[in-house]
Amino acid sequence: MDFILNPYYLQIGMFIMINAILGVSIYLTLATGQLSLGNAGFMSIGAYTSALLTLKAGFPVYLAIPIGGFAAAAVSAVIGFPALRLKGLYLAIATLGFGEVVRVVFLNLKITNGALGLSGIPSLGILLGKALSSAGFDQGMGGLSVQQLSNVSVLLILLILVVFLVFFSLRLSRCRVGRAFAAIKTDETAAEAMGINTTYYKLLAFLLGAFIAGVAGALAAHITFYIGPKDFDYHRTVEILLFAVLGGSNLVWGPILGATLLTMLPEVLRAASDYRMMIYGAILVTMMAFRPQGLISEETLRFWKAKLGRRKEHDLNS
Amino acid sequence: MKLFAMKKVRKMIAGVAVAGLLLSVSGCGSTASAPASGSGSAQSGTIGTAKIGVVSFLTGGGAAYGKAIKQGLEMAKEEVNTQGKVKIDLLFEDSRGEKNEAINAANKLVNKDNVVAIIGPTLSGEMFAVGPIMNQAGVPIMGTSTTAEGITDIGEYVFRNALPESLAIPAAVKKAKEKYNLKKVALMYSNNNDFTVSGYKTFEKAVKDNGLEIVTTETFADKDVDFSAQLTKIASLKPDAVMVSSLYQEGALILKKAREIGIKVPFVGGNGFNSPQLIKIAGPAAEGAIVASPWFPNKEDAAVKKFVSDYKAKYNEIPDQFAAQAYDALKIMATALEKAGSTTDRKKLRDSLAAIKDFQGVTGKFAFDAKRNPVMSATVLIVKDGQFSELK
Amino acid sequence: MFWQQLVNGLTLGSTYSLVALGYTLIMGVLDIVNMAHGEIFMFGAFTGLILASHFHVNIFVAMLGAALVGSLLGIILERVALRPLRRRAVSHLAPLISTIGVSIFLESVALKVFGPESQAFPQTLAGKIYTIGPMQISLVQVVILAVAFGLMLILRFWLARTKIGKALRATAESTETAGILGVNTNLIIVLTVSLASGLGAIAGVLVGLTFNAVEPTMGMSMGLKGLAVLILGGMGNITGAMFGGLILGVAEVFSVAYGASSYRDAVAFGMIILILFVRPQGLFGAKDQTGGR
Repeated sequence: MDFILNPYYLQIGMFIMINAILGVSIYLTLATGQLSLGNAGFMSIGAYTSALLTLKAGFPVYLAIPIGGFAAAAVSAVIGFPALRLKGLYLAIATLGFGEVVRVVFLNLKITNGALGLSGIPSLGILLGKALSSAGFDQGMGGLSVQQLSNVSVLLILLILVVFLVFFSLRLSRCRVGRAFAAIKTDETAAEAMGINTTYYKLLAFLLGAFIAGVAGALAAHITFYIGPKDFDYHRTVEILLFAVLGGSNLVWGPILGATLLTMLPEVLRAASDYRMMIYGAILVTMMAFRPQGLISEETLRFWKAKLGRRKEHDLNS
Repeated sequence: MKLFAMKKVRKMIAGVAVAGLLLSVSGCGSTASAPASGSGSAQSGTIGTAKIGVVSFLTGGGAAYGKAIKQGLEMAKEEVNTQGKVKIDLLFEDSRGEKNEAINAANKLVNKDNVVAIIGPTLSGEMFAVGPIMNQAGVPIMGTSTTAEGITDIGEYVFRNALPESLAIPAAVKKAKEKYNLKKVALMYSNNNDFTVSGYKTFEKAVKDNGLEIVTTETFADKDVDFSAQLTKIASLKPDAVMVSSLYQEGALILKKAREIGIKVPFVGGNGFNSPQLIKIAGPAAEGAIVASPWFPNKEDAAVKKFVSDYKAKYNEIPDQFAAQAYDALKIMATALEKAGSTTDRKKLRDSLAAIKDFQGVTGKFAFDAKRNPVMSATVLIVKDGQFSELK
Repeated sequence: MFWQQLVNGLTLGSTYSLVALGYTLIMGVLDIVNMAHGEIFMFGAFTGLILASHFHVNIFVAMLGAALVGSLLGIILERVALRPLRRRAVSHLAPLISTIGVSIFLESVALKVFGPESQAFPQTLAGKIYTIGPMQISLVQVVILAVAFGLMLILRFWLARTKIGKALRATAESTETAGILGVNTNLIIVLTVSLASGLGAIAGVLVGLTFNAVEPTMGMSMGLKGLAVLILGGMGNITGAMFGGLILGVAEVFSVAYGASSYRDAVAFGMIILILFVRPQGLFGAKDQTGGR
């Protein structure tokens, strides 16, 4: 129990959840075969919107976070229309460029405090702690201090959100919208010929991705107390892309596994200190050489399903 | 059982289980750190070994600063361990200049390695993220290079011995104005770095306070190498001086380019100019560059001379401000630990840190004010014959 | 000031062009964005620096040495990160990621080996400064412009006229067909990557020389600019890379000279967003992409 409650692991857990949400956001745009690298940009829009609303306008956090998501979605609607005419690498680089432009704008605006960033953002943990105290748990509960309790509850909230998003994505892939996404991914022209409104569905995927990225950004802002333009640069974009590619982008489990592994990897490699980024780079190259489709693909799932199914039968028989 | 037969739920559970498993695997690798207990006081005269964590920018773009900080700290550690009453064990963790990594690094040091205090992180932005967490956990944290406004407002466990620009820059601007009879100046700063932006704001205020006219304000970004456009523009406006808030690398390149295209007016720099590297990179172009600093490697002071020669012997370079402030920071920590009489009590350490007064370090006489900011004085320096000397 | 700024812009632009040439060659033939190109560029700069400051060689020898090291790195890159992917049908994301992996690897190796500090070429190489009317132009600026244009012309000629050039273009058109027609496509691909990397390394030396700063993270920002030029000029288009680079350089410099310098970094990507919406194939791209010309 102590192990689970160690703030170090709790914090990593929170980062994993945030990154998993980001992973879902890129998965959704990739579900239509669109490679959008604007997620860091959308994330920053969500983060700044939410942080500014709470800091300057006194909005409650639980309202500011979804508004951050909507702000990101609104911006994505504006750039989505022209951008989605582009295909493949062109779209990737245009959205990458969008992210850079957003970063430079935040760097120059007065209200965002430029490179100094926004500090003292109300923290989710502390707010929950206060709520818990006022609810009569100020002595903690079950031997846990308020701080531990609030950290655990933040992690739980994030976990619930991730579970919900996974559930949502799985549902989506089995309904009309998801099938349209899949059709567009396989062959856009054929999908259009079959009467699917490709522009609509592509824009929908783009908007969903942006909304989720915005929410993730807002959550990150309220977990780390501070945001600056540097947090949303090219490196972040690449990181988010890696979640999907390393984990596998065909199933929602892929980006989640990718986010989990890639968040933990630098921590696990801490012992390697100077060499850790080298190892990180080498892992990416090796991974692509041996498993370019990502760690989880449909076959992986089928394989494990078969195997687990067999084991269950075996258990029943014995 | 019916529940588990449902595909979705099973998948979900499998996913959560995998995530949990991975988490635990990652943790098991190195949980063997023994808890630092209070029973360290083995020999009489010493109060045991204190574990101090360091979060620094050790790899990536700003690694040059992290390296100087690390070297300064290690020198101080050796000296403290050979002479002091308290022994110090330093644990370094890399933040790569990213706030999330800085948070993880600090959390690891505190919750796995049980350090008594933290020195670092390198950037103000990282401190704004790490500071509140450490403050909440009650761990003293001291920045050696975090100069931005509002750092110590985070809470009472947050300290810094980095000289705020609000002390150094106005001194340099005032001196330069008197010396060169300045009327109009151009400002330049790196706009994607919290340190230099905060320096720029101080510059702007100091320049206005001194009644100088600003002809233009030009920005660039860290790691930029081409400054010809900005400098050509500045040259055409003919200012009496150029004020630059940048790190040393960009500062040196700016000086070089400026001299090359014929800008001969004095350059006044922020804290970033205060590095031997500036002179090393810019060469003769650095002549006449002005900076105010508490750290002055050619100071007529026994402690400074010893530090510079020892450092040079060990690392084959002249210590810069980052190294000097890190060196002092650990010495301050050691003094506070001795006074606290414990190597594990974080609360006691905080209180004795806050009470530090009349500490004599290589960056001069030092004390913390009521808000845990440093009280120290700055000397205005000018580069002359390839060396920093006092501008009188 | 206008003329001087134009010179500044053209100098900056020619460095972008040089970097973009490498991108565009690989893009044209392999349909891949080589994200490690910036880091090969950086290794080239360091090789040149070491040759010039430790072995005191002439700058052209330093460039040659850098080109050799660059090509070697290119060959290794091709073997390690691209060839394994080519054997199987993979999404176009895979090579992107594996080259990102290589770039992270190379950057951290450079940080370890060369240290994080910025280093400069020996002063003697910086060269003279000429004053022509209202303009000042340094020898290095002239050299970099000349080398950039020279390389572009050589490349174009080589691609259009020589046998290997033709084979390269055939491979760009269709790897399979070229293979059937007796072109050793594997060899051509290795050649392309090593050529592009050699060019990148030369660009590294020239950029290091022009701006007097060589450091491990220099590949990153330059790489991003090169990517922007790739789109601006049209993917896989050599003339496009050349002029796209110059246009970008001049645009950036003029944004500082006559606008706000703080938006300089948005210029590159603002421009490509605009270009993509108006003319997605790039300024010089043909309507349907053809590679290598």
